[in-house]
Amino acid sequence: MTKVLEIKNLTKWFPITSGLLGKVKGYVKAVDGVDLKIDQGETFGLVGESGSGKTTVGRCILRLIEPTSGEIFYRGKEISRLKGGAFTDVRKKFGIVFQDPYASLDPRQTIKSALIEPMKYHKIIESEDQAVMRAQDLIKRVGLNEDHLYRFPHEFSGGQRQRIAVARALTTEPDLIILDEPTSFLDVSVQAQILNLLSDLQRELNLTYLFISHNLSVIEHMSNRVGVMYLGKMMEAAPKDVVYRRPEHPYTHALISALPLPNPALARERVVLAGDIPSPVNMPSGCRFRTRCPYAKDLCAQEDPPFVAREPDHLVSCHFDLHLSAPIPTLDASTKS
Amino acid sequence: MTLNSEDEGLLQLNNVKLDFHTYAGEVKALDGVTFTLRKGEAVGLVGESGCGKSVTALTIVGLLPENATVTEGEIIFEGKNLLKVTHDEMRHIRARKIAMVFQDPTTFLNPVLTIGEQLEEVFLLNLGSNDAKLEAENTGSSKLSKSQQKKVARELSIQVLKQVRLPDSERVLKQYPHELSGGMRQRCMIAMALARNPDLFIADEITTALDVTIQAQILELLRDLKREFHGSTLLITHDLGVVAELCDRVAVMYAGNIVELADVKELFAKPLHPYTQGLMRAIPMLDKRMDRLETISGSVPDLIYPPTGCRFHPRCPFVFEKCKLMKPELLNAGKGHTVACHLYGEGKK
Repeated sequence: MTKVLEIKNLTKWFPITSGLLGKVKGYVKAVDGVDLKIDQGETFGLVGESGSGKTTVGRCILRLIEPTSGEIFYRGKEISRLKGGAFTDVRKKFGIVFQDPYASLDPRQTIKSALIEPMKYHKIIESEDQAVMRAQDLIKRVGLNEDHLYRFPHEFSGGQRQRIAVARALTTEPDLIILDEPTSFLDVSVQAQILNLLSDLQRELNLTYLFISHNLSVIEHMSNRVGVMYLGKMMEAAPKDVVYRRPEHPYTHALISALPLPNPALARERVVLAGDIPSPVNMPSGCRFRTRCPYAKDLCAQEDPPFVAREPDHLVSCHFDLHLSAPIPTLDASTKS
Repeated sequence: MTLNSEDEGLLQLNNVKLDFHTYAGEVKALDGVTFTLRKGEAVGLVGESGCGKSVTALTIVGLLPENATVTEGEIIFEGKNLLKVTHDEMRHIRARKIAMVFQDPTTFLNPVLTIGEQLEEVFLLNLGSNDAKLEAENTGSSKLSKSQQKKVARELSIQVLKQVRLPDSERVLKQYPHELSGGMRQRCMIAMALARNPDLFIADEITTALDVTIQAQILELLRDLKREFHGSTLLITHDLGVVAELCDRVAVMYAGNIVELADVKELFAKPLHPYTQGLMRAIPMLDKRMDRLETISGSVPDLIYPPTGCRFHPRCPFVFEKCKLMKPELLNAGKGHTVACHLYGEGKK
């Protein structure tokens, strides 16, 4: 497997300034040392609650936000310090789909123009005709038709707009697409359509996805591997069955066991975490999860646990091996794996 | 009516129809909503956005916007038709009998008053009311003075905050809404609703704006309160998971109609309506492995020009001629399971 993307120790601290001269009085540590790697053709699911920094990670990869420190490798090449044209060349290999399809499309631009603009900018087409043909091909790929190219965003429903946003992400023939909560604005019946579309496109075009979401069920459905973030740091990363069936980090465990499942016949033990997520300005000392962790000990307040591999491809940042129970009871007999 | 064999309910909606007047035309938002809420039970009202679940709740509490008109039907609550009562009576009912909590607690808490001031007001209204005077006269005790009332209200506020498991409740009383986290604010809203010990508690998407771990806390609280609280609950949500955890019965809404109503276990085990079936197969579920989600084709219809007959028919995989012509009535399918679909009617198997 070739690694498409690898991130090492990525941080993004937003300064908090005060007064006329903008004196820096502190930092919001939105991303505070994140490592991850994504293989060719897989979907890496990044899950976390609001404020965990998952969106910031996605934006740092595209350099929509400049990272404070850390390294980002695209196919083995360090890209976090690239400037100007050198970065533009890499950038066209990345696509992004944003959460809100009502905000991410320009209301005064036809769909055709929205699709052709990136092709022109990145010079991946030779003539106007070729651009139109490519736009027609893309719009059909996402399940709309050619007539739709000549309309404006307000003429479409939320689900259709998100299809257009997907088409736009594909214009530059990217191989990594960052999907930042692509279905959280949509109703469940429409969400299913978009998720299926994304799966189909991935298969047809051999795409790699970074799927960012707070929805644990959607992440489980879409991903091959999953990373769980809390307050700017990765708590656990592993293949999805490991994360969902036998997590080793107490946060992952609580998150999954507490999720309401649409199955009233399922009896299970819930772990309900006390308290609220601490502020990323005043991070707790040591392990950032310790203030809500049911297993916290003295060591947790003193040392930040390293994010280390417990077995190949299963990384956990916790001082202890807790032998947690399975957060979801056994699978239905009828299901296939 | 085919359904009213049930024992007498606390709240009964009969064929409620409602239109919104907009520049684009009449939005036929509710198209004959009928259901009964029994005493002490929790009913979930589920559906996608725009299906009319929140409008149903607002109609019950009489808080509809001005451009809405109820064109037909009745809402019977404790023997009274809520659509016919006067403004003052409705206020009284909202103050004592029916409490509602909304999705976003920030919008419904007053930012310039402390939690204490807002919560005590609820009790002061009760203590200073005519009912309280009458009661005082009847029991022979003397009427409370203003300062005594304040003291009692404070005590009661602390109690009710403890009931919603807010730690350090005395401090919370002195705080302003912006000083609290989303989960704490929602607890305050629930406290305010329960302060009146209502007969009916309506919760409109109260966990939707919260993070998973905070949602889990609120759900646990609601589960606990269900044991302590003896009134009925109407829980509005789009999340089938929340319904499965908290409700006794579920009503599924689509485009202004209740399409299916059943016991929670029955509904999840054996959904009858094609829409309910589609919805359940469209959601990724952690306890089932699905290679591919099934989708419901198309999208929610425009309710200015709703489809004829059954409003689901343009998206229904089992559609036949009758569906386009006639609106299906809610039919009894046994075990208290009702469904509005021609597939289960006479003349079609």
